[in-house]
Amino acid sequence: MARIDGDAQQKIDAYLSRLRARLRGINEQDVREIVEELRSHILDKASVGGEEVTAGGVGGTLAALGSPEELASEYMTDNLLARAEVSRSPVRILASLFRWASLSIAGFFAFLASIVGYLLGVSFILCAVLKPVHPQTAGLWILPAGSDDFLISLRLGFGSAPPGARELFGWWIVPIGLVAGCGLMMLTTRFGLWCVRHYRRSRGLPLGQAV
Amino acid sequence: MKRADPKDQDAADKWEVQLRKGCLELAILAALWNQKLYGLEILRRLESDSDLIVSEGTVYPLLSRLKALELVRSEWVESDAGHPRKYYALTPAGKQRALDMSKTWAGFSSSMSKLLAPLGKGK
Repeated sequence: MARIDGDAQQKIDAYLSRLRARLRGINEQDVREIVEELRSHILDKASVGGEEVTAGGVGGTLAALGSPEELASEYMTDNLLARAEVSRSPVRILASLFRWASLSIAGFFAFLASIVGYLLGVSFILCAVLKPVHPQTAGLWILPAGSDDFLISLRLGFGSAPPGARELFGWWIVPIGLVAGCGLMMLTTRFGLWCVRHYRRSRGLPLGQAV
Repeated sequence: MKRADPKDQDAADKWEVQLRKGCLELAILAALWNQKLYGLEILRRLESDSDLIVSEGTVYPLLSRLKALELVRSEWVESDAGHPRKYYALTPAGKQRALDMSKTWAGFSSSMSKLLAPLGKGK
């Protein structure tokens, strides 16, 4: 069994503690596994002839792993991607795309498009659900905005209808809103999953790390 | 002979990094094909059996993702060194993924070799 000198132990604990602090969002069991696996790696690699773990050996091993911040970032990204790939949850998909958005312009637009898709989908569904509650005001309205111009407004029925506005669809907004809302949610999820997979394939250079 | 422009050299280096990184998932699955290995053994296997110069900070998060995707499973095993080691092995889904990726690799590599053949003659 390798002997660990005091300085070496201190360095290992400090590194792993910094890493642990940055693994937010990953469940406690997984964090424990990550930390213990890296501790095992450091002890294996830094031991001299399998007998002694020195501060010098630990320093070199930690340098090869990269800073705790960089390593945590790799874990966070890989963890989010893996969970998003096997999940259809909008929250997980958006969390992955948000991470991509922080790394590239393409990710920013993918995130923005997904947010708009989900918001519009939820609005259509809410409009359909609220129509029976606010039959006079909930629905899709055309508002005059000038001589030849008009605006389309999806209203959930809170407040009164604006003057001069004309409602489209009437009670038909209930089935139309449900179908359009669910369709938009599904399409946005498919788009988001496609983006997550594309991001996973293209990942590498954006993080600027050598293989 | 004209020396490579530093910018061109940088682009070539980035391309190589990306290429190596793209191969890493297949390389790890292949290293685990018939055996279970722990992280450092996988790194040493990749270094000795391939030209992949692998950063340790890349392999461990990737192993974690492969586990989350259920392509590999892991177990802790006590060692003579005095601390446990986390061993990885392929799941049936991981074996299938390795086979699929290896077929894609073989087809891609063969078509690229055909395309690159004239470059070898032109040396």
